[in-house]
Amino acid sequence: MTSIVAPPSRGSRTSGARSASGSRRRVSPLVYIASVFIALVTLSPVIYAVLGGFRSNGQLAESPAGLPSPWIFTNYISVITSSSFWQYGLNSMIIAAVTTALVVVAGVMAAYPLARYRFKGRQALFNVFVLGLLFPLTVAIIPLFLMVRDLGLTNSYWGVALPQAAFALPMTIVILRPFLMALPNELEEAAMLDGASRIGFFWRILIPLSGPGMVTVGVLAFVASWNGYLLPLLFLNDPALKTLPLGVADFSTQYSADTAGVLAFTSLAIIPALVFFLTMQKRIVSGLQGAVKG
Amino acid sequence: MKRTAALRAVALGAAVAMIATACSSGSGSDDATEGAGESTTLTWWHNSNTGAGKDYYDQLADEFEGDHPGVTVEVSALAHEDMLTKLDAAFQTGDQPDVFMERGGGELKAHVEAGLVKDISDSAADTISAIGGSVAGWQAEGQTYALPFSLGVVGFWYNKQIFADAGITEAPTTMDDLYAAIDTLKAAGIEPISVGAGDKWPAAHYWYYFALRQCSQEVLTDAVQTLDFSDDCWVRAGTSLEELVAKEPFNTGFLATVAQTGPASASGLLATGKVAMELAGHWEPGVMQGLTDDGQGLGENTGWFAFPEVAGGEGDPKAQLGGGDAWACSNDAPDVCVDFLEFMLSNDVQKGFAELDMGLPTLPSATAFVSAPELAQLLAVRNEAPYIQLYFDTAFGESIGGAMNDAIANVFGGVGSAQDVVDATVAAAESA
Amino acid sequence: MNPGATDQATAWSVASGPRGRGASSNQWRKRLEITFFVAPALLLFAIFVIVPVLQAGRYSVFNWNGLGPLDNFVGLQNYVQALGDEIFQRAVRNNLTIAFFSIAIQLPIGIMVALLLNRKFRGQTAMRVIVFVPYVLAEVVAGVVWVLILQPNGPLDAVLDTLGLGFIGQVWLGDPSVALWTVMGVLTWKYSGLAIVLLLAGLQGVPEELHEAASIDGATWWQVQRKITIPLLGPTIRTWIFLSLIGSLQLFDMVWILTKGGPVNATVTMATYLINQGTDRQQYGYASAVAILLFCISFILAILYQTLFLNRDAGVDKPRRKKVTR
Repeated sequence: MTSIVAPPSRGSRTSGARSASGSRRRVSPLVYIASVFIALVTLSPVIYAVLGGFRSNGQLAESPAGLPSPWIFTNYISVITSSSFWQYGLNSMIIAAVTTALVVVAGVMAAYPLARYRFKGRQALFNVFVLGLLFPLTVAIIPLFLMVRDLGLTNSYWGVALPQAAFALPMTIVILRPFLMALPNELEEAAMLDGASRIGFFWRILIPLSGPGMVTVGVLAFVASWNGYLLPLLFLNDPALKTLPLGVADFSTQYSADTAGVLAFTSLAIIPALVFFLTMQKRIVSGLQGAVKG
Repeated sequence: MKRTAALRAVALGAAVAMIATACSSGSGSDDATEGAGESTTLTWWHNSNTGAGKDYYDQLADEFEGDHPGVTVEVSALAHEDMLTKLDAAFQTGDQPDVFMERGGGELKAHVEAGLVKDISDSAADTISAIGGSVAGWQAEGQTYALPFSLGVVGFWYNKQIFADAGITEAPTTMDDLYAAIDTLKAAGIEPISVGAGDKWPAAHYWYYFALRQCSQEVLTDAVQTLDFSDDCWVRAGTSLEELVAKEPFNTGFLATVAQTGPASASGLLATGKVAMELAGHWEPGVMQGLTDDGQGLGENTGWFAFPEVAGGEGDPKAQLGGGDAWACSNDAPDVCVDFLEFMLSNDVQKGFAELDMGLPTLPSATAFVSAPELAQLLAVRNEAPYIQLYFDTAFGESIGGAMNDAIANVFGGVGSAQDVVDATVAAAESA
Repeated sequence: MNPGATDQATAWSVASGPRGRGASSNQWRKRLEITFFVAPALLLFAIFVIVPVLQAGRYSVFNWNGLGPLDNFVGLQNYVQALGDEIFQRAVRNNLTIAFFSIAIQLPIGIMVALLLNRKFRGQTAMRVIVFVPYVLAEVVAGVVWVLILQPNGPLDAVLDTLGLGFIGQVWLGDPSVALWTVMGVLTWKYSGLAIVLLLAGLQGVPEELHEAASIDGATWWQVQRKITIPLLGPTIRTWIFLSLIGSLQLFDMVWILTKGGPVNATVTMATYLINQGTDRQQYGYASAVAILLFCISFILAILYQTLFLNRDAGVDKPRRKKVTR
């Protein structure tokens, strides 16, 4: 596999390194027109959902694509004041956090020998993980269900987090391995001269340096877990453990006549993922850049 | 959490558990949790996840807990499709809830063969005899495995106002009447019929009914036993369906329309006056109430007529397609589960069920409490029917029924023929 | 899968001599370390991925309704039946169609938008966030909203009417000849963000000096992009195509929520077909056979793609030696 994460190429990129002349030329209005168009197409479903939450069902039936008039706040208020919404959000958060922690720790540990050790069967071992990319969850869902039950993990956060982490591992290792490979050998030589063992090198040098890569795979795993539907649907019967996507699906069938309520619930369900993404956005891009501060 | 009552019951339960165990039918029960100082938990999955029905079932669970100290009923109200998905998964792993819905027919047979359902022939004998003949659909090899709490027939629900405005004064009784009504409605600019072909089974009901009208009772009963579909009435059923589809009576986008979730579903379109009629079961008024803002559904304008006669058919024109829902106990459920089933079929509970129009009660003493006139009308048709054919997909079991439904949906989509339905069914029967 | 991986200089093994340890103990130590590092991931992977997949393989040679013991051995009959099944064949065709058009539509969009966002302009950061928004949304959430938008006489039709484009109006999800393209549109909306973000990351690896040199030579912005930037994005593009191909073959969530594979199987994919056969028809043996076929098809295409395209990039994995600047 090739590296998705561009290997470190040119030292750190501070804004000063970019010469202003190359990129700060006059920006043609076309750029703005194109941007506005892209933003509209991308966001219109979200805008529809958010605004729809401020309308009544009568308004929605009257003019499906209109603006709220008058603005109605009851839909949102009733969702925010329902304890189940917060419970769903908390469950999703816990499961996604556990999944992410598992994936990042297990993934970076496995990627290290696969990237920087030389041993027989290294390529074979890597290929076993890569094969996992070809198994979607749906392929193994029934045997997986039996497995989770035999382990006594149904109706627990672990029952969802462990399989999710396992299925996120291939992607994690595929991304991290080239990333670790690309770290310069001089680091290893320097560490050896300082008398560090390989494990010491791993903890003290490799982990801090692969931060950006770990953020990248962490975010991918978090988003996948946050959005997961099939596993929680089958493994979590207890209403107290339901995750947000299950909540959205439940709510949209239970109150299916209340389109405005469904839109309000859905919009609020979008927010945590967006906030998370916005706060991590800079880290993600820098993680993808894989820049190593020399 | 919302069920604080349940928590209180547990606390209480610990105190009175001694008494409870003394009174319980402790015949070497296989359930370890019934020991002294322990409380018993019953898990119950149902699909009345909206409005009054949901509240009623929550209230019943509380009531049962009150009558049975030490017992906690954990209720899960699930959307119908979700419930089926989860039940299937749970049956494979032996994780099924203590109390669940059984629809009878081939599904029940498979569950019995796999030893998943409790045999309640003796433990619920009194209730079984009180219910009477309706229990037959939930028996296998002479043993009873579930108590039907609602049994209804499928027919056309229609909007009286729209019919009157279009000048249709008589409810159709023959297919020709129906075709005339369709033409009249189309001329008035109204979509005549909504059908949730996206979910397949609502569309399949049409073919089932045509088969019921075209085939004699003997052919039908034989087919369920021997899986023999050689009689040409099966193909004629498809031909009748092709005729109806060719009339283009259905709502825009019917191939993707879902059965009963949301205002754009088949039931939603009828409830909000967008179409004139829909072929559906006895659950329809309850569903429609959940789909309108005022919680009334069609209210005063709700009308019902039975599936029309088909000229030249060999079936009894009074025969109806129907089915019902029953409560069953999982094989490893505690004994108190059977008490819960009997409680659910008690006169008071069935009466409340009838008064809320949640379905058609099976307990003869409770049928008088069905309040809505059109449900009472349907009940009369149910009681007069010479025989009630269980939905084919339930009767034949999921693998044959599923193949049937897919092929029927293809006829609706104009990509399958009458012969294809029979061929697909036969092929599925051979590999089953 | 990647024979081009280079060996790291293993300073420690070279250095083992002076520490006065025997080579064999060093070997053992290395094995222990490798085991320690790989164990957690391998264990997780074995229990929750490998074993269930092998189980699926076992179920696939039985006729099993999911209840009771596995006792009706049918050999390869399930596979024969699936390969001969019209709907399965249609699912394979749909998957390939989706894969082809996902790449054909999302790649140009991804390149254009990534190039656009690689320029410095006011609002650039906001735009970078916006394009990734659909990718972050849960499939269920996006699906619920899209189903509402696409319903007959719904918001989309209303907008088209307002713009005087009412004639474009379709029964978006209910017409067998249109539904697959509607799904395609929603998929484009949902997943283009990934292509854009990956390509943007790839663009960070294109040295600025090249641009400057080219623009000093009087090349236009577009020429620079075409002659220099896009070719340098090659490895990123090839990786994204691979991910997109695999994703398209395994597509489930979005289609399931939008159409359940309907109307009349117009949008059926291998994954929706197998879930349908499993949960709706209780044919778990057959569904498992379909699952294994899905894996085989993914595997064959992946291997083909690897040998045809990705090996060119073998060199890219080699760490570019760079001076550690201090």
